[in-house]
Amino acid sequence: MIPLNYYLVLSAMLFCIGIYGVLTKKNAIYVLMSIEIMLNSVNINFVAFSAYSGDVTGQVFALFSIALAAAEVAIGLAIFLLLYKRYGTVELNNIKLLRW
Amino acid sequence: MNYLILLPQMILVAIAMLIPAIDLYGKDKARILPYLASGALGISLLFLAIFTGIIPLEIFDITIPTSLFGGMLVIDRFALFLQLLFGTVTLFVVMASSTYIKKNERNQGEYYSLLLIATVGMMVVAMANDLITLFIGLEIASISSYALAGFRKNDKKSAEAAMKYFIIGALSSSIVLYGISLFYGLTGTTDLAQFGTALSNLNSGQDGLLAMATIFLIAGFSFKVAAAPFHMWAPDVYQGAPTTITTFLAAGSKKMGFAALFKVFLFGLISFKADWAIAFGVMAALTMTIGNLAALKQQDLKRMLAYSSIAQAGYIMMALAVATQYALGGALFHILTHAFMKTGAFIIVAMLSVMLIGSRVEDLRGLRIKSPITAFCMAIMMLSLAGIPPLAGFASKFVLFSSAIDAGGWLIWLAVIAVINSAISLYYYARVLKEMYVLPTGKNKPIRMKEPLAMLIPIVLATAAVIIIGLYPAPFVDAAMDAARALIP
Repeated sequence: MIPLNYYLVLSAMLFCIGIYGVLTKKNAIYVLMSIEIMLNSVNINFVAFSAYSGDVTGQVFALFSIALAAAEVAIGLAIFLLLYKRYGTVELNNIKLLRW
Repeated sequence: MNYLILLPQMILVAIAMLIPAIDLYGKDKARILPYLASGALGISLLFLAIFTGIIPLEIFDITIPTSLFGGMLVIDRFALFLQLLFGTVTLFVVMASSTYIKKNERNQGEYYSLLLIATVGMMVVAMANDLITLFIGLEIASISSYALAGFRKNDKKSAEAAMKYFIIGALSSSIVLYGISLFYGLTGTTDLAQFGTALSNLNSGQDGLLAMATIFLIAGFSFKVAAAPFHMWAPDVYQGAPTTITTFLAAGSKKMGFAALFKVFLFGLISFKADWAIAFGVMAALTMTIGNLAALKQQDLKRMLAYSSIAQAGYIMMALAVATQYALGGALFHILTHAFMKTGAFIIVAMLSVMLIGSRVEDLRGLRIKSPITAFCMAIMMLSLAGIPPLAGFASKFVLFSSAIDAGGWLIWLAVIAVINSAISLYYYARVLKEMYVLPTGKNKPIRMKEPLAMLIPIVLATAAVIIIGLYPAPFVDAAMDAARALIP
């Protein structure tokens, strides 16, 4: 059986890839995908902990978090579509009306 | 098992589902929808008032605290206090929206429906006693407010605000979720009530993981409450979003973040207070200082109020550094007064834009003639935000700061920083007063204008609340302390 640590390292790596993507990518769709990677790395954590402890709460939480991630993507894509209609681009660098 | 205690939320959800249908088929819907939404909020507030005992009617057989769904939701004094607050804020916002959202604007059904659903989400956070329900409540409220921030679809700024709010919100949600998953791995449970015992059995090799999980939760929730160094999104979003939604975000959504912080740290992790209190102390000091200094040079009223709201979040965050029952009571009291002050101030800004006066600070010049009552209410709000006695802001700041001094040690320095910050903040609040009352109005004489009644009512009510709480704070302090006692016995 694969030790629990391997799963945790995998999920930590995915989470870091996600954060890196959010911080460096300028395209809104890339950012959305990076956020999805972060949310999915959490699901790996939940399911791994749940499988190794024999407690189902983690799997229930993973199911909820998948549903919430889907809702978040739906609203995110709608907002980016609106952004594209108003600005003609989803490059985040070009969207800067609100500044101090 | 008495599910009747969820009646306020059930009514809100039912009406929220009904509103889009009426929007599709109904006639004269722009008139009906706000009435329907405020009616639902009014009835659910009425039930909440009966549950808390403000209205002494014994028609429901309900005990407080009630635990529902196997301890997933607990309705105690803390939950009822915050639910009443969230309901009141949304009621004010709906009343103001009936004028602010023009009769011919599209998607009105979605607007009111999402407002009610976001309120239910905030109420779920207040009731949550388990990380699952806490997170779901947080997401219900957040996802609805992303859409609300972009409600003005033809407005470029509104779209940009929605985009920024969405990216930051989703990022913070995933950070919170990662923290929760680590806590689940450490404790084997998501029940906040069992955290203390489960965590005390850890062996020393797991300390690092516990620290990491705590940091993730602090960072994620700090994004939600816009505490420095995670505050950069707030001014942009508050400025770009429709002003009624800004009211909702500043007075409601931000308080929901604090409700979650209080639940997790002051209830679940209170036994590890020594480890995280200092982090909150540093963040509180940073937040209030950055907020106040940045507010000094703002010319846009909405942006200035957004920075002021960041500073106020710093004051509330002091309670997490002090982490005593008295401090939590003070924080809840400040949340109450701050909600009224910010609701009033932001609805005034919304009304100025409806009256075509504009939302820059210098646009306020001559307001004392254009609309004396608005000028007076704005003056009261500004003085109260600065903490001038005998207004509500003074009373709540007094309780909050004295709790830090009570605790002693390094917390006294935190209180000193907070008092200095209050003095700094007086500068930009007084600038508003100066524009309204002191400066000459210039060549073109201002004329008396007519205020929209639906917006004047919430403004006057909020001002009255600020004055009443300031003059007679005892019952409100008692309610806040009762609520605090439910969390920290």
